[in-house]
Amino acid sequence: MTDGRSVVPDAESVDDLLDGVADDGLAGYNYAYLDEHTKREVRRATLKAIALPGHQVPFASREMPLARGWGTGGIQTSLSLLGPEDAFKVIDQGSDESVNAANIRRLASRTADVETTTDATDASVIQTRHRIPEEVLDDDQILVLQVPITDPLRRVDGSDDANRRRHAHKNYSKMWVALYENVVEYGEIKLSSRYPVLVDDRYLMDPSPIPRWDVPKLDDADNLCLFAAGREARIYAVPPHTEVEPLAFKDRQFQVERFPDQACANCGSEDTFLTEVETDDGDRRYACNDTSFCEKRRANPDLSKAHHRDGNDHAWGPATDPSVPDGPTENSEGGERE
Amino acid sequence: MTVLDVANLTKIYGDACGECVDNTGPSVGDNQCPVCGSVVACADVDFQLHDGEVLGIVGESGSGKSSLAEMLALDLDATAGDARYHAYDGNMLSADYQARHELQNQHVGMVHQHVQDGLELSFSGGGNVAEKLLAAGWRHYGDIRDRVESLFRETEVPVSRMDDATETYSGGMQRRIQIAKAIANDPGLVVLDEPTTGLDVSVQARVLDMFRGLQREQDVATIVVSHDLDVIRLLADRTLVMRHGRVIETGLTDRIMEDPHHEYTQTLINSVI
Amino acid sequence: MGYVAVEAGEDVIQRAEELFEKQRVDGESDQLSVEQVDDQFSRLTAQAMSEGGLYAPRLAAIAVKQAQGDTAEAAFLLRAYRSTLERWGSSRPVETAELFTTRRVSPAYKDVPGGQVLGATKDYTQRLLDFELTDDDGTDPTEEWDAEPEDPPQLRNVMEVLRDQGLVHNPETGSDEDQPGTPFDATREPITYPAPRAAVLQELARGETGAVTALGYSELRGYGQVHPTLGEVRTGDLPVRIEHPYTGDEVEVTRASVTETECVVPIYEKADDPQFSFGYGLVFGRNERKAIGMSILDAAIQLDGDAPAQDAEFVLDIVDGIDSFGFIEHLKLPHYVTFQSILDRIRSIRERTAAASSGDDAPVQEVSADD
Repeated sequence: MTDGRSVVPDAESVDDLLDGVADDGLAGYNYAYLDEHTKREVRRATLKAIALPGHQVPFASREMPLARGWGTGGIQTSLSLLGPEDAFKVIDQGSDESVNAANIRRLASRTADVETTTDATDASVIQTRHRIPEEVLDDDQILVLQVPITDPLRRVDGSDDANRRRHAHKNYSKMWVALYENVVEYGEIKLSSRYPVLVDDRYLMDPSPIPRWDVPKLDDADNLCLFAAGREARIYAVPPHTEVEPLAFKDRQFQVERFPDQACANCGSEDTFLTEVETDDGDRRYACNDTSFCEKRRANPDLSKAHHRDGNDHAWGPATDPSVPDGPTENSEGGERE
Repeated sequence: MTVLDVANLTKIYGDACGECVDNTGPSVGDNQCPVCGSVVACADVDFQLHDGEVLGIVGESGSGKSSLAEMLALDLDATAGDARYHAYDGNMLSADYQARHELQNQHVGMVHQHVQDGLELSFSGGGNVAEKLLAAGWRHYGDIRDRVESLFRETEVPVSRMDDATETYSGGMQRRIQIAKAIANDPGLVVLDEPTTGLDVSVQARVLDMFRGLQREQDVATIVVSHDLDVIRLLADRTLVMRHGRVIETGLTDRIMEDPHHEYTQTLINSVI
Repeated sequence: MGYVAVEAGEDVIQRAEELFEKQRVDGESDQLSVEQVDDQFSRLTAQAMSEGGLYAPRLAAIAVKQAQGDTAEAAFLLRAYRSTLERWGSSRPVETAELFTTRRVSPAYKDVPGGQVLGATKDYTQRLLDFELTDDDGTDPTEEWDAEPEDPPQLRNVMEVLRDQGLVHNPETGSDEDQPGTPFDATREPITYPAPRAAVLQELARGETGAVTALGYSELRGYGQVHPTLGEVRTGDLPVRIEHPYTGDEVEVTRASVTETECVVPIYEKADDPQFSFGYGLVFGRNERKAIGMSILDAAIQLDGDAPAQDAEFVLDIVDGIDSFGFIEHLKLPHYVTFQSILDRIRSIRERTAAASSGDDAPVQEVSADD
């Protein structure tokens, strides 16, 4: 599979060509599915993105055998990075078992011959939709986030042409007015996910639809974060140890999601992002969204989010360590400090 | 102190042939170049503006005064010319976008003739004024609210309407909001382009009175462009009269009104009376 | 819990796919052969090729069969396959006057050089459901004709008549910045705005038929001013030539079936030298509706006015069927993380409003649901 055999041997006609690949299945495709030219182009865009933190770099996104909007940017980026030595983890909405995650993982393992894992601490490349793992990522790990809408300014103007100009001039006042009017109307900022952040005090960036809970993890992280959108043909990045600041007012601070008095029904965690489930008998249960970490916590309820880092409890989102009760509840009583 | 020193300011629309300026102007009686068809909106305009002074620019439509206002507010590129603003090092007409943006945010407030050029109608009135503060780096919501509220009071807009969409405001209120926005960051220069056009006569007077009060209180250098001699008479200390893209007469407003030298100025003044 | 079904391993995916495949073989009838799709559903394969941006009738027939007749899905299969193929080179540009024309009508003129050629069309017949097709015995209705079939002629383009008189505006096409003379290729380079006309035409030619038709119709319907006169609509086969790798000569390797249209719009480009604006449409296979829609959109985008279809960015952002299909259908994916985030916001705002109005029912505010 890794011989990079071309799909176009000495074919005389389309029929020959089809006969040639009829039984091959995916074996007829190049290593890691994409042709080498495409991989190079994606890597070039990625390098440029790393050089300009938060800036959206256009790239000629290829059609993938997945529908656009289903992770095609993420998979192109992942496939351009993966080699046989890598361990690849795919999560969708926090879960390794989601059908779309399984489908993406299957494509990578079938074409790139990589090992797959569900353990966030074992993976060298993690592709994710809408979440950042609860466990602290290391400087040898790359997080690839799938992005549906690349520009935070599209909330205030649909035209990318106009928005590109705003980015070029760091003119974000329209976004700020939108936040101001939010507070006027609701008393606080009503943005839920896709919370706009300023990267390295220069570019306004859409962190993808991760919950606000995950936004602080981007700031000064040890790992590289890549953001990729296949349909919109853009790649952007937050390199390690880059300042990432959510937009907010001094007296209306950024708040993460609140889970007052709730713990995971499965592992008992109180320092993880929970999602609620309405059960058949009418109850509402909360459970960890990060299923692989939840499983570890079930075996060991005191496991720290930085357990694999020899006690290095690098700040990682709200409450890195359950023994440090600071963080997620800081702003949770309405969150507003005048 | 001289706030603004303008020399040789020229704006030509179209592909100029090089002889446009010589071929147009009051002596020719037209501002369109007979050779290449370009329109010389204004040419060779020189003036100085001092601290706290109000300079009026008067002329009929097509005289080039609105182009002049837009160039000075850095909304329009000049074809040629030099404008020295006291807080900017160099010719502000050739400032790059970033510097221009900063000048517009912090130093030069513009009140546009057409409301859609000056305001975002889908924002609230308060949001429009807040945008100026936010662009200048204000990040404390409470402080922003306080400042917007006081600007509403200064420009006599009901504070109760602060959070309503600007498109629901009357024409007079929209003009006041533009003024509030223009002075929000205590600029060194304010440019008013036809400040009363489209307003009822009674509203016109109130807007002008309000602005005159504000201007005197804050002592801000102002350029007011109007076809309306009453506006110029009420606000301007000194006046430039423009025709066919040229300044044909300049002087103290009182002198021009009472003893106009140029024939055209005489007609202009007589036709009003 | 409903989500269990969506959160499952590869087995479940495999089974879902097998269930889908089963639908094709479920009936009592014989299996449809790829040849039958190719011969009898040429409109479907044409649409898949045009939206997929790949001229390959046999591959398109497989795609249509695999997609069980869903053209968007079939076009998607073709594109995904195409993107894995190595690019060997480019064919030589061809003058469409070389089209071997099987049908050509010119609405602009009563008669044109070469004449009106109706060709095969149902345009002028009544659309009555033909119950005899339930018992189709494959009779050729032209069997009894005593006329000899003629070879399709090559006809002069009607618009050339107007061009020769200098009546038609000649816009810039916009070529690749790095390689002058080479058209922009949106499959290799991302589009940014303002986009060169070559990119606009390419994206329209690959656009989803329904979207191109609807957006073109919006101009006619009054959301715009483009109400064109068609110079002509023609279908036929275009020779595809490549440079011979050894001799350097041009060699015809195949022919591609296309539909072409050009329209004029009585909006003058320049006041001092009035010329017609015009629009161009060319799509793979027989698809006159899309070709005409494309020509309207090309004209509308050149006008660059305020109507929706005159905004290149708007039109090109939404016209691609692979993009819209994927993003519309991605809403089926689980969204419980973002939804949790939205729930948090609305509860927080409701608490605040309730506290402020001391227990009154807070109005339900719209909370932005994004992703």
